[in-house]
Amino acid sequence: MAGASETDAKLVESETTETDAVAGVAVGLSAVLFALAVTALFERVSLTGSLFGVGTVTLLGGLLTALGVAVIAFGAGSRLGYVETDPDPSAGLVAGFGAAVPWVLIGGSVASQTLGLGTGVGVVAGVAVGAVAFALTVLPREDVGSTLPLGALLVLTGLVFLTGVIDPAWAWELDWEQQAAITAEFLIPAATLFAALYGGWASAKAYGGFGARGRHMGAYVLVYLNALSIVAFLCILVAYVVVQGVPGLLTGVDVGLGTGPETTILGVSVALPVSVPFVMNGVALLNDFQGVLPAIVGTFWLVIGAVLLAVPLGVGAAVFLTEYAERGRFTQVVEVATNGLWSTPSIVFGLFGFAFLIPRFGNGKSLLSGMITLGFMLLPLVVITSREAMLSVPDEYRDASAALGVSKWQTIRSVVLPAALPGVVTGVILGVGRIAGETAPILLTMAGGTFLPGSQTVDVIGGFQFTATPPFVANPALLEATSALPYQLFALITAGVGLGSNVGDPDAFRWATALILLMVVLSFYAIGIATRYYFRRRLKHT
Amino acid sequence: MAQVTDSRDGRIRGAIGEQVRRTKRFADETETAALAIISVMAVSLLGALVGFLAVSNWTVLPFVAFLGSSAIGWVRYQEETAYTIALMMTASTILILGLIIVFIFRESIPVIRYESATVFGVSVPGLRMFIQPNWDAVSPPIRYSMVPMIHGTVMVTLIASAVAAPLGVSAALFLSEIAPATVREVVKPGVEILAGIPSIVYGFIGFTVLGPWASDQFQTTGQGSYLFVGIVVGLMALPTVVSVAEDALSSVPESMKSGSLAMGTTDWQTMTSITLPAAFSGVSAAVLLGVGRAIGETMAATVMLRGVPRLTDPLVNVFYGQETLTSIIARNYGEADGLQMDALFVAGVILFVTVLVISIGAQYIEWRMHKRLGGEV
Repeated sequence: MAGASETDAKLVESETTETDAVAGVAVGLSAVLFALAVTALFERVSLTGSLFGVGTVTLLGGLLTALGVAVIAFGAGSRLGYVETDPDPSAGLVAGFGAAVPWVLIGGSVASQTLGLGTGVGVVAGVAVGAVAFALTVLPREDVGSTLPLGALLVLTGLVFLTGVIDPAWAWELDWEQQAAITAEFLIPAATLFAALYGGWASAKAYGGFGARGRHMGAYVLVYLNALSIVAFLCILVAYVVVQGVPGLLTGVDVGLGTGPETTILGVSVALPVSVPFVMNGVALLNDFQGVLPAIVGTFWLVIGAVLLAVPLGVGAAVFLTEYAERGRFTQVVEVATNGLWSTPSIVFGLFGFAFLIPRFGNGKSLLSGMITLGFMLLPLVVITSREAMLSVPDEYRDASAALGVSKWQTIRSVVLPAALPGVVTGVILGVGRIAGETAPILLTMAGGTFLPGSQTVDVIGGFQFTATPPFVANPALLEATSALPYQLFALITAGVGLGSNVGDPDAFRWATALILLMVVLSFYAIGIATRYYFRRRLKHT
Repeated sequence: MAQVTDSRDGRIRGAIGEQVRRTKRFADETETAALAIISVMAVSLLGALVGFLAVSNWTVLPFVAFLGSSAIGWVRYQEETAYTIALMMTASTILILGLIIVFIFRESIPVIRYESATVFGVSVPGLRMFIQPNWDAVSPPIRYSMVPMIHGTVMVTLIASAVAAPLGVSAALFLSEIAPATVREVVKPGVEILAGIPSIVYGFIGFTVLGPWASDQFQTTGQGSYLFVGIVVGLMALPTVVSVAEDALSSVPESMKSGSLAMGTTDWQTMTSITLPAAFSGVSAAVLLGVGRAIGETMAATVMLRGVPRLTDPLVNVFYGQETLTSIIARNYGEADGLQMDALFVAGVILFVTVLVISIGAQYIEWRMHKRLGGEV
């Protein structure tokens, strides 16, 4: 589709002119303003300082005014026939509402606050101003309608900043019982941000020469910007946690033969050549460096337990639903139940585990309760993804197998399940990534103290014992409260100042925990997504 | 009316009869030994379930019996055993949902009794939780009102939807209709990873970075505001909206889009006048599911809010964030016991029921859309 639009753009578009260049520059200017607004919002650019030798607010005001003038000039030029465009009779209702919203806010706040006429008059004035903007957008021809109200908005905002009506010290006290104020520190970047979006939209429309192509252009600018912002947000988030977390993670790291803790590999006791105290130690009074080893091991066992419970159950249910059951009431009820379970809030699973599992496993928080609760959370995900994978196995496979005279179960076991395996595996890995980061369910069912000494690292395999009384098998390791990474982070946050006595640098310790948690979860996602690509590529080749 | 009930009765009887006949046919076709094994499996598993529910130490016996009979069945009659086990696993999903309903409702009964209010001489259990805004678990009169938390959840959900719905639908349009294949391969996993970032990490960043910043920007006393919790929760609900809406958009038949493009429309015109209207119900289901996620979001809200259950003053003051239905559970489960714990279960019941209704509604909308587009249901 993208290719097609390029071709017909070439067919329709007349040769590039200076006016196109002007509109293009206006779009670029909006992008610059948008970026400046975001950086100012997060105080990377000081409002009281200066940029390129000009005061920041003055610069923003000047750019906004210039953008507004350009937008208006373009509309007027098109209306008077100086610029060759292809406008519709009206800009349309959506554009009308889009233009009305900021004008309602401006009209309302100016009347009620600046002129001090009270809330009632403010509402009336806001609606009136908005109605004018709406009419000015919808009634005239599209080239005027989609530029004039928005251009005026930009010029007004720019002039307010330029003349210093709103300067960096400005603040609007809301006079509420719980004190709050809207400060220039927030208002200037936020107003610039939205004005830049409107300016970019209007100038992109102008760049496309208004009409259907203009609207296409305007919409695409916004949609691309949105997608770009989501990816940028993700990158910044991860990068921020990494930057903050790495110092804490690397405290006391030592590389060299025999520096690491002793570990047994294939029956031989080896000292690891690397020592990363943060992931290899617990918390103890005599430790040089404190760490979160018990939480990492707790998360590991938690995930294992949840997978052992949920995967067989979920895959079995998916087999029954896709292969055995005829579509009817029963399958419908199961589907509604699985989707209902999928959207059930995690804290409700926690409450359920608290009421149902804890009294049944020794009346205390335990690793086992946490495993089962998380298994219940994982179950619907496994059912849904396995079903999708099995449904996408072509019926020809089943028919071919059935034609050989083998029974249904044999068909399922040797045809359907192997073909659906990639989908199931990917779904399970992504689901595990999701539950590994869940805090709320284990909060009520499993998690114990904030700091666990290294000696309390759970050892599930070594914990099994056989007893003479029912239930004959016991595993104290499974029935003890322990920690997990997401809970550890929560406990560190809520512990607040009290942390100082245990850990040298509480902030670094917290960020490092967040980083480890993020690394564990994202590695599940990376493996899941990579598996999917691997199988997809292999499918394409064969 | 009588006729309607009659015909429904008849239908139910017919369905039951059909079921009985099918079971009978299955019993006739299956060997007696296999039937016996299956029955032993079913009875022993049922026994294990009953034992587990009754908190019995002997639960392990029927469970071992189940494992043993399954093993024998697997070796001797794999076909029938596999069928039975798959059926039991399917039933387990319904069973779990049923257990959740029973247990969280059961725990919440005492406080519902305690919070009865009299209306026109009739005592309505639980009503007082919704007609006065006072939550006080310490000093008498002890009151467990849900009103402040419902207010908080509504505020957060509204703001979150305002963030997640437009951004999510626009991103879904981008992924399913606009993006070139290579860009799509980057953005789609990005959205998935966004869904994977643990909520406690969002909460931690919100608490350490966003909270102090917002408190400074809006000159509030202390940190924690519904506005920023709403924005963060909205970003967390975003991936749900994107993936469900994208599925809906790409289920619109290609022929409809090509037909429109052949008329000489731009891509954007095709999207707004063909694709979006055709997928409208699916897209609204996506938004609904996003709302459901936002309502149930716990950790970010717990860490970022103030934890004082009261209404903000005035009600629209989004610069202060007190408590939501989810965060009160996560914050108070530790020291709560007796009635207060039961009150937390009431919050859980409200959450569960709301989200379940939303989930069923979204499924119904999606089902109708598939039916209308003539696809497979």
